[in-house]
This record gives sequence, structure tokens and C-alpha cells, in this order.
Amino acid sequence: MKADWHVHSCLSPCASLDMSPDRIAREAAARGLDMVALTDHNSARNAPAFAACCRRHGVLPLFGLEAVTSEECHVLALFDNLAAAAEMDAWVSAALPPVPLDAERFGDQPVVDEHGVILEQIEILLLSATGRSLEETGRRTRELGGLFIPSHIDRPSFSIESQIGFLPPGPYDALEVSPAHAGAYRTRYPDHPVIVSSDAHVPEAIGSAFFDLAADGPAVSELRAALRQRRLRIHT
Amino acid sequence: MKASDVATLDGVETVQPDYENRDILAGYASDLLSDVMAHAPEGCLLITIQAHGNTVSVASLAGAAGVMICNRRPIPDDMIAAARAERLPLFRTARNQFEMSCLLGGLLSARE
Ligand SMILES: [Zn+2]
Ligand SMILES: [Zn+2]
Repeated sequence: MKADWHVHSCLSPCASLDMSPDRIAREAAARGLDMVALTDHNSARNAPAFAACCRRHGVLPLFGLEAVTSEECHVLALFDNLAAAAEMDAWVSAALPPVPLDAERFGDQPVVDEHGVILEQIEILLLSATGRSLEETGRRTRELGGLFIPSHIDRPSFSIESQIGFLPPGPYDALEVSPAHAGAYRTRYPDHPVIVSSDAHVPEAIGSAFFDLAADGPAVSELRAALRQRRLRIHT
Repeated sequence: MKASDVATLDGVETVQPDYENRDILAGYASDLLSDVMAHAPEGCLLITIQAHGNTVSVASLAGAAGVMICNRRPIPDDMIAAARAERLPLFRTARNQFEMSCLLGGLLSARE
């Protein structure tokens, strides 16, 4: 299955307001993606709407978030069910500093329903680092049955390499790198599967990078096994 | 001292020259933006290696008077554009954070 596991909705302040869950699912289906993960910064609040929209457009969803650890590393926590994503969301939001959103500077943070109707605006800045470390965030993700994947580890900001300087041991299901570096990073980290994704913040970017995973279904256990056995091919 | 005085220091390059020339009241050296957000004092020169657009947003929120990028790190265009939009001076030096902090600290205490 063709998978793009890193897409932001309108809930992320830095993402376009055109990124409604419906638009994401529709664009993903139009581009032939089989599976898409919704990964807003420090929040999974748009996951319920995303579930409905993926059903409507025939796309397999993963529900998750891109957590910002206390070290300011971005990491993906991905779940195959809404209940676990909601628990992760609660754990992360409880550790967000109470910095009010400056929407002029950072953008809006609307929670929407499956039709794009705004239900709520999150008033606390979602881009802040949480008080949870990389190690704690990995442990919690796995406790809740999720896939744990450090984001864009090759980037010069908000990545494991930029913030820590090396890859500490951890329960990584894969490492996400920029498409241009996929080959080099497979050599650098032979013990971990390497994936690429779009990190889309605008509709045009959805599926601009993806990977092909030979998995028998969308359950996390099966996805983890497929990654481990390197049943994957990268497309950029 | 003013932001424009920082611009004249030896080995300091002005990357974004269209700025509000505020008083530099202090320095703050940090590479963790959450820490900058929580603790950087109003009117400080932020001394950091975090060369990206979010640094400008956080520096502005904290009320910093300027940003100094150390170790001559490459500065992406979106960071320069963000600084221009905030009219925040953006400087760069080959010094590291310690060396830059010492230099600024000496200048600030000499003027007291
Ligand atoms: Zn990220
Ligand atoms: Zn992202």
C-alpha cells in the first residue's frame, strides 16, 4: 500500500486552512494513496473528523500526532484507533506550556468536523515543546500501542540530529528522513527502517513523498512487522 | 547600546538590515526555543545557533531586540523574510555562543 504518514491539517497553526480532513482524504484518494496519517503538532483533535472523511473517500487512516519533545525533537506517534490517539492527545496536552496562541504570528488552530465546520479554536499554542522527553514520549506511544517514528531526522531544526546530535537508543519503528537523504540514511542507520513522507502543510504537497509498504492490513502490529521485515519501497 | 552598534562589531555580518533600531538591554544565549520563550528578557540580543523561521517568531514574542546566529550557520531565506516582517535585526558571526556572549557582556558592562 502507498502510504504518506505525515500530514498536517488546519489544526496545525503553520498549515493552510485549506487542509480540512475532508480535503486531505479527497486529495489522498485522488493521488492514489492507500493510507494516510494525520499528524498535527501536539494534537490529535481532528482525528475523529479524519476517520469519517477517510471512510467517505476510501483511504485507510492512521490517527496520530507530531509531538514536540522537551528536547524540541519532532516525533510521530501513530495509532490504528481513535481511542488510543485521544489518550495520547490528552497525555501530550497535559504537558503543553500555557502559552496563549498568537494567531497573527503563528496562524489559527481550528478543530473541525467532517464537513469542515469549525467546532473549536485551540487557544494554547500547539507548536511549543511539551514537558515530555523523547524517551518518555517513545515509551508512552508504545504503551498505547502506537508506532513511534522520529520526524525528518536529517533536518537542521526540530530533529533528533539537530537537537541531540546522535540517535539515542529507543523504541523506533522507523526513522523519517527527507527524500533526498533516504539512501544515505539507510546506510547510516542499518538497524532501523527508513521512510519518507510529505510532511504536507498545503493540499498540493499531499503524497509528494510516500512509501510502498507490503502489509496485510492497517493494524499497527501488521504495519510494525512489515517495517521490521523491510517490506517497503520509497518513492520521492 | 543600540542594535546598530552590534552591526558595527568586528566579524558581525548584518543578514537582515531593515530593522527597528532598539536598545540592546541584555544578552540571552540559548538554543532551546521553549527556554527562550519562557526566560529571555525584554530587549535582549538572542544569541543562538537555531537558524530558522521559528526562532524569529519566538524572539519577537519574547520582546528580543535582535538575533545573533553563531558559528556562521547558514540562514534560510524564510528566516530572513520573517525577521524583515518583524523589523527585527538578524546578525551572524563566526564566534560561538560563549565567545559572542563574552563580547556582548563586556560591551554592556562597559556602558553601565
Ligand atoms: Zn516536524
Ligand atoms: Zn510535520
